[in-house]
Amino acid sequence: MMTRKPLFAALLAASTLAAAAPVAAQDAGTAAARLDELDARITRLEDMNQIERVQRTYGYFVDKSQWTQLSELFADDATLEIGGKGIFVGKARVLEYMQKAFGPDGTKAGSLANHMQFQTIPDVSPDGKTGWMRARAFVMSNGGWGLPLYENEYKKGADGKWRISRLTGPFTMYTSWEGWGKWAMNNTWPDKFPPPPDLPPSTVYLTYPAYYIIPYHYPNPVTGKAMVPDTGQVGAYAAPPGTKAQIDSLKVGRLVDGTQPIAEPPKD
Amino acid sequence: MQAGKTMLKLGCAAAIGLSVLLSAVPATAADSLQARVAAYRERVARLEDQDAIETLQATYGYYFDKGLWDQAASLFTRNGEFEYGQRGVYVTPAHIQRAMLLFGPQGLDRGYLNNHMLLQNVIIVAPDGKTATGRWQGMVMLSKPGANGVWGVGVYENTYAKEDGVWKISKLHFYVTGMTDYDQGWAKSFLPMDGQSALFPPDKPPTEVYRSLPAAYLPPFSFKHPVTGKPLTGLPLAGDDVVGRK
Repeated sequence: MMTRKPLFAALLAASTLAAAAPVAAQDAGTAAARLDELDARITRLEDMNQIERVQRTYGYFVDKSQWTQLSELFADDATLEIGGKGIFVGKARVLEYMQKAFGPDGTKAGSLANHMQFQTIPDVSPDGKTGWMRARAFVMSNGGWGLPLYENEYKKGADGKWRISRLTGPFTMYTSWEGWGKWAMNNTWPDKFPPPPDLPPSTVYLTYPAYYIIPYHYPNPVTGKAMVPDTGQVGAYAAPPGTKAQIDSLKVGRLVDGTQPIAEPPKD
Repeated sequence: MQAGKTMLKLGCAAAIGLSVLLSAVPATAADSLQARVAAYRERVARLEDQDAIETLQATYGYYFDKGLWDQAASLFTRNGEFEYGQRGVYVTPAHIQRAMLLFGPQGLDRGYLNNHMLLQNVIIVAPDGKTATGRWQGMVMLSKPGANGVWGVGVYENTYAKEDGVWKISKLHFYVTGMTDYDQGWAKSFLPMDGQSALFPPDKPPTEVYRSLPAAYLPPFSFKHPVTGKPLTGLPLAGDDVVGRK
């Protein structure tokens, strides 16, 4: 990954330094500093591994309706936003969301709700305390097919454990077994099924055949440039980008940042 | 895993570079630095182990998909075990290779599709670097001549061991949890799993007796909860009156 080149440069520098090595004590200090750097790099790789494990475990728990175990993957003040259902605040609400929307803990006869997790792109902040991941799930269920994306945030607690601090799961496409050529759900909404959210959706958007691009937490890996989303691109597309229908849709019912306000307030 | 790949060459290079450096510093400081290098080498080794296991298991998938039974069987330890659904346990690479013929001829044939996609791995390498466990999500697409296409889902809970310095599969256990007819789908069709073969019976009966969908089975977890650290045992699970699970 991206660490390779700088890492070899650092090691080369260490070797060169050792060859010159005029002052022993100074070398010890230099070696310690280089080891600190090495430690940080190894820790980063271990952290990215762990974040992937947390996200994949989340998937295994969803598959089998293990909501209590799932909620334990979240930080106490975590937020959860799936599809267009709005934002749920706190670990307790995460549990309530899952149990009310999908039933009590435990597998159910005849029920398939696989949320297969893959294509993970983890990252960790320089201080090693915050992580992010773009990932996706492929949903295969009794009802049909689904394509959620994830742009999640993770926090390393004082106990050294990584937890989900923000789960953001916008939908790309949901359809029945008949297939996306025949029918697709346009999104979920706060009032579509209980429980109601604590906050309205961060962005209102439509799923396939319209589409929505959730901003990337990381830059283009080749150019290194941040993917700064155009405010017009953050929100939903009602039509392919660049078309008149899409440009017109951006002017209707939108806030100045390009997103659409939610009509339905949270319920008591 | 991207993370593991990066570390492959790092371990040795780092150790050599720092050893040279350390030979020039005072004894006590060097001791502590050497200890740090030793600890980091271990951590790098575990990342390399995980990477090697990921390559091993993914390679198994590519071989198995194409009916390369000889190659797939070569990935197992001398006493390696292969268990697929309710077919029972086959032991040793020779038996495993023969058992795989029950899925189709070597190299498959026209009209066969045997895709077993492996994803969502959670690999835990033991601290001593000698054994490991891996849970994988299995997504299956099957076809045989004269039959309709089949979708399948399941979970792998495998163990790995370093034998003669190489990571191998010591136990592959694919818990098939559901299969359905391509055209009908999960709302209308559940296909039963294959049982133990009369043609080439297994060396041991299934380690776990269960039914796939519509029964709702949860394959046990090899790893502990990543946050609470507690074993993931005794999780709520629908009963099965035939199997006798309450």
